[in-house]
Amino acid sequence: MQQNQLSKIICLILSEFFLVLFGSAQNKIITGKVTDSENGLSLSNVSIISNENKTGTQTNLKGNFKLVVPLSVKKLSISAIDYLPQEIDVSVFSNIDVALVSRYSTLSDVVVIGYGTSKRKDLTGSVASVSEKDFNKGNYTSPDQLIQGKVSGLQITSNDGSPGGAITVRLRGNSSLTGTGQPLYVVDGIPLDGRSLQADNNPLNFLNPLDIASIDVLKDASATAIYGSRAAYGVVIINTKKGKAGGPKLDVVMSSGKSSFLKKIDVLNATQYRQALQYYGVDPSFDKGKNTDGEDAVLQSGWQQNYAIAGNGGNENGKYRYSAGYLHQDGIVTNTSFKKYTANVSASVKYLKSKRLGIDFHLNSSQYIQDGSDLTDGNAGVVFFGLTWNPTTALRNADGSIRIDPGEGVNPLAFSQYLKDNLKVTTLLGSISPYYKFTDWLEYKLQVSINYSAGISRSSVNQAMEVYQGFPHGGNASIKNNEITTEQITHTLNLNKEIFQGVGLNAVAGYEYMKFTTKGFTINATGPTGTGFGNYGIDYTNYIQYSDAGSRNISSYLDPLYELQSFFGRTIFNYKDKYLLTATFRADGSTKFGANNKYGYFPSFAAAWNIAKERFFKIDWISSLKVRTGWGKTGNQEFPSGSAQALYAFQNNGGLVQQNNPNPDLKWQSDRQYNIGIDFSIIKNRISGSLDYFNKSTTNLLFPSPPIQPAPPGTTITWINLDGQIINKGLEVLINGSIVRSKNFSWDLSANATFLKNNVSGLTVPVFTGNVGSGPVEIIQNGHPMDAFYTRKFLGLDKSTGQSLYQDDGSTFYYVGDPNSKALLGFSSIFRYTRFSIIANFYGSFGQKIYNATLYNHLNVAGIMGGNIALSVFKNPIKESLANPSQSPSSRYIQNGNYLKMANLTFSYDMGKVAQSFSGVNVYVTAKNLFLLTKYPGFDPEVNVDHGINSVPSLGIDEVRYPSARTIIFGINFSL
Amino acid sequence: MISYKKRAVKRKYIALILFSMVVTIFGCTKLHEKLGGNLSPGQVSTDSLAPAILLQGVYNSLEFTFTSYLQVFALSDMTTDEAIAPTRGSNWDDNGQWRVFHQQKYDPNNPVIHDCFNSLSGVVFAATDMLQFKPTRQQQAEARFLRAWAMYWMLDMFDQVPYRNPGGTLTQAAKVRKGIDALTYIISEINAVEPDLPDDPASKANTYAAKTLLMKCYLNKAIYVNRVSPPVADPKDMNKVINLADSIINSNNFHFSKNYFDNFSPDNGSKSTENIFTQKSNGDGNYSVALAWLAVLYYAVPPSYLGGANGFTTLQDFYTKFEPNDKRRGAVYVYPNSPPNPGNRVNVGFLTGQQYDLYTDDTLVDPTQGDLHVVYTPEVQNVELGPNILMPGIRPVKYAPDYTNFYGNNGPVQNDFVYFRFPDVLLMKAEAILRGGTGTNAGTYGITALSLINAVRTDPSRGASPMSSATLDSVFDERGRELWWENWRRQDMIRFQKFLLPFQEKNYQSDPKYLVFPIPFEQLAINPNLSQNPGY
Repeated sequence: MQQNQLSKIICLILSEFFLVLFGSAQNKIITGKVTDSENGLSLSNVSIISNENKTGTQTNLKGNFKLVVPLSVKKLSISAIDYLPQEIDVSVFSNIDVALVSRYSTLSDVVVIGYGTSKRKDLTGSVASVSEKDFNKGNYTSPDQLIQGKVSGLQITSNDGSPGGAITVRLRGNSSLTGTGQPLYVVDGIPLDGRSLQADNNPLNFLNPLDIASIDVLKDASATAIYGSRAAYGVVIINTKKGKAGGPKLDVVMSSGKSSFLKKIDVLNATQYRQALQYYGVDPSFDKGKNTDGEDAVLQSGWQQNYAIAGNGGNENGKYRYSAGYLHQDGIVTNTSFKKYTANVSASVKYLKSKRLGIDFHLNSSQYIQDGSDLTDGNAGVVFFGLTWNPTTALRNADGSIRIDPGEGVNPLAFSQYLKDNLKVTTLLGSISPYYKFTDWLEYKLQVSINYSAGISRSSVNQAMEVYQGFPHGGNASIKNNEITTEQITHTLNLNKEIFQGVGLNAVAGYEYMKFTTKGFTINATGPTGTGFGNYGIDYTNYIQYSDAGSRNISSYLDPLYELQSFFGRTIFNYKDKYLLTATFRADGSTKFGANNKYGYFPSFAAAWNIAKERFFKIDWISSLKVRTGWGKTGNQEFPSGSAQALYAFQNNGGLVQQNNPNPDLKWQSDRQYNIGIDFSIIKNRISGSLDYFNKSTTNLLFPSPPIQPAPPGTTITWINLDGQIINKGLEVLINGSIVRSKNFSWDLSANATFLKNNVSGLTVPVFTGNVGSGPVEIIQNGHPMDAFYTRKFLGLDKSTGQSLYQDDGSTFYYVGDPNSKALLGFSSIFRYTRFSIIANFYGSFGQKIYNATLYNHLNVAGIMGGNIALSVFKNPIKESLANPSQSPSSRYIQNGNYLKMANLTFSYDMGKVAQSFSGVNVYVTAKNLFLLTKYPGFDPEVNVDHGINSVPSLGIDEVRYPSARTIIFGINFSL
Repeated sequence: MISYKKRAVKRKYIALILFSMVVTIFGCTKLHEKLGGNLSPGQVSTDSLAPAILLQGVYNSLEFTFTSYLQVFALSDMTTDEAIAPTRGSNWDDNGQWRVFHQQKYDPNNPVIHDCFNSLSGVVFAATDMLQFKPTRQQQAEARFLRAWAMYWMLDMFDQVPYRNPGGTLTQAAKVRKGIDALTYIISEINAVEPDLPDDPASKANTYAAKTLLMKCYLNKAIYVNRVSPPVADPKDMNKVINLADSIINSNNFHFSKNYFDNFSPDNGSKSTENIFTQKSNGDGNYSVALAWLAVLYYAVPPSYLGGANGFTTLQDFYTKFEPNDKRRGAVYVYPNSPPNPGNRVNVGFLTGQQYDLYTDDTLVDPTQGDLHVVYTPEVQNVELGPNILMPGIRPVKYAPDYTNFYGNNGPVQNDFVYFRFPDVLLMKAEAILRGGTGTNAGTYGITALSLINAVRTDPSRGASPMSSATLDSVFDERGRELWWENWRRQDMIRFQKFLLPFQEKNYQSDPKYLVFPIPFEQLAINPNLSQNPGY
């Protein structure tokens, strides 16, 4: 090498000598060859330009070029369609070889894999990454929505349509008997607690999606096992944007839009209602003579706006980024809204002459405020009162005021006006991580972080509501406060060295300590007898001391301290980039585990073979081909702290009673997963993709078991590890293709599909869940998928009596459906023509059934007596008897849940530089949920309203959830 | 140069070692779980006040299962001729869990039976557990009495009583006492603790409560030997019943209340002179005595915040067992916190016919149902088939509603819930005499069964006419009238061998297996010491 360089220098000196000699003293000749970084093929038509004097040339068919430039030229720009541009230093050498990196290659991407990074080509596990350019476009309240439908095997379901509302996230199928079943979220190396302050909120609400640079999803156990006892449901690594070296740059994002309902539920209008009164032979006095629409009354068009600025800059020694954001969304249900303020600062600084000491610093602060979200869902929410409103009843009095008449059912307008619910969640996520490089190949890093969230919820019921049945007399006020704190210290030692000729070793060893605390209090009181809280125009929660003393309820708690202590390590052997071997290990000790099981051990192994790198592999059109396989063990410990030991709880009238059934054997739920996968790219990376088969077996199921009586009184349960096995098998396919690639025009398509199968075995007793109001409709039982529908089999209505007919008279229950998706589909298309682009994203879910409890509980035939019923009930050719106990759960309400959604469609125009100071100007319009293809008659088949029993959540039940919105947004982005 | 490099490397390793020391010294934790708002057994055992508050916890554990009408009541009264929960269209369908009680067709999956079994076991647990924390003599006597009380109910309903020793391991299967063995244990426990119990108040475990419970034990003993064909009562047992009654009567602590409904009013804690053993009202969420009126009243009964649930009713045949002038059947009752009731409408007891707004005396209608008149009709069916599905059924309101203190289902209403009343003692004594015991003279209630029954019937607070003769059947009927909806009907019907016979809305002879409830399937699966009761 050195000799070669020496000869080049001699050549250079000689050539300069000749140049001087022949009078062109100011010029030099640069020669070289340009190749593809992955396959080494020569690249033709690559342009080589000197920006300093605007001269340039192109490579010939063999990839060679020759350019004469003035001596003063120090840099050349090398660029080609489909490749990332490079700048080359030509101040010293004049013969240069350049390897260009394909713009479409994912293999060169750096992927964050937990306590370290890896090049995509070196991965042995199943890891999906989505970076900013591929995110869903639009204004989102939380970052998970950026990748909805983008990652095979990952199903993100919005439980309802409320801004900031809860989501159900399932990676590689449904394996959670209890708990949220959501993956472990890791933000910039800090694993999140996963709990949200309110059960119906998204735990990622605190992040501003505009601050996210990329999201990596670790899917198989060989990738996740480094996170041990919390990784069984997969790991989602969220990387925020960091400072970049360069002059100070300011990015500005502004958008504004409007949302409206996506789909309504068909209930009777006034005319149909009048017909129905006659048809069913109901007292005609239910016809109140007006013509109203309760559903419309509670729906509105919601304006939204989103602003963010982000600045960054720095040099090699220090980089910074700061950002601030403001998001305001009005919900599509009256008096609901979501507001979020975010502010972030991050910096990365290097010290010492050697630059071996560095510090990364990050502070993420946010506050979001949600109005009315608690009042929209379920059988006592504003949507419910809207849907069941008698369409012949006036909503307002003649003078325009809201009509409150106890004889007319609860007016949805009154409910929306007089019930207040305000949730404010403040989150601080801060970390500081100094590191020191002992040598080029050995680095020590310390990360200290704290994550604090405080949620204050204030709600009140105005005493104007007291005339209605069941509403508190004198008004009611309630204040709840919850705090969650997570502290973390991580030490890691990273080693990256070529230990033998061709053998690379990348290893990490670490220790981590985490501490979780949760505490809170609630106060609830009713207005004083006689006067009530009154009508002073002040929210009742602002003067709760005025309440009736006897009505006050207060309580407070501090959960048992939860500590997690872990030792972990990972080694990756790389032999000539052909053979890769990874082994990871983690030991997790948790205070939550029983005394006999304090530590859990989670190993994994994986291997990969880059076949395309083999000499014998001579297929030109295959650019890369890699086979991966891995096995690993992970765990889940989603049960309350204190579950393993005996606890005595104070009661609210001076009593003390044992609350918890101790279980010294309690431990993590165990997952074993193997994965076989292929990554490939063909035709010069024009088509790339991967194929994964996984088999995940979950055992030691965490389960809140009924205690063996006699046991402590109350709703006590014993957390045990239940015998039984949940197996999820699946096939994941991802294909990316560049259909057209040319200078002015490109069209990229990407599609992913997941096929899932789920089965339960080995349970000694079945577990019931899905209580739709009068008993469970779902069962977890051997030989059936998780949460299979198990209820009466409905045979139709009896023509003569109008009563429901059931198989075996309804006394036998049957398996009548599966709420689990059998196939997930994601699809996106990016079409670019010069500066104009169209981006479309779709996702869908197929094979799942939904229990429509909206119809079952609220829009059944009985509602004709002064409420409303579903149009489908009225249109039924058989006249249903009003005395038919239509609220006996049965397969009558189990409906097909297949859907395909256009998640978003974006038109954008890249104006580039505008005037002197605006660069990167981009204007766009995005439509979210432009259409929904489904036969499901509810608001949206993307739904999961929890009807769990004893901590066992249900799946696929819909009951008057917040309707979904369709949103159109105009936006402009630019930089200064 | 070379030596310098070596030293640098050495320094690096020293630094490395230092870092790992930092990790080990400051990092490692022993993973001991520190508690927050709860106490560990260790903390409880060092607290001298703990036995007192643990005992309060035992009292609290009796709430809901007894006081709510949704557990013990459903098993004890809805299975009989005095109560039914008609299915009204979609309301009270509840997957059929209520229907099966009156029809006597329950199975081991019934959620109400399951809850009742667990709640009663919870009392047994709490009362056992507190014994390990050094209670005083009286405290342990109270706890053991409450345990005997809960065990007695489990024996009566399930014939199997699981138990643990104080501090026993909860993950292990509990041992089980069955039938007469369980009764023997319960009797020995009551006898053992009685000397350490106080004489009052009624809302605590007391000597008279102990005596009354012993009376129940002896009176029903033959049933626990064999429910299907019980042996003839042992006169020795009957004389024990009589002696216990006499010692209660002779204490002179108990007399008839001035008004029958004083025993159940919001101020019954101070006003009742009949109550021997009660559950003290309190504002915690489990004291759900308000369900005693909520579960029966129609939705649109004012005040608006009341929120009636239009559920349980009695049956015509039972209602007609009363003489019209029997004040126990219904009364115009004025009490603290009662509504003005300007029309002097019957507001407690069995409500039937057109109802009136007790504040305005307006005829009560439901405007949400097209001004449907609130008329409770006597005819009632297990499943109402229409067209009138909302109104059927006479509504029994035993506990006068405490409107003022009511803020929702779990408001701090003041009515204490009644377990034992003095007339029950008198009627048990009468029955013991009829079952072969020897009459004795105690108090002013006479020596014969007839005089005892008539003492109850004709007291001005009841105002019924005297009977001319007393048979077991007349004791049975009188117990029905005196103790309606007080959780005793099932036990009485079994003892008088009437439980399986047809009665209104159950027109068939039931299978004898229904004399005891099935062991809930869930407990059966995890405790091998339990066995399913015959026939289930």
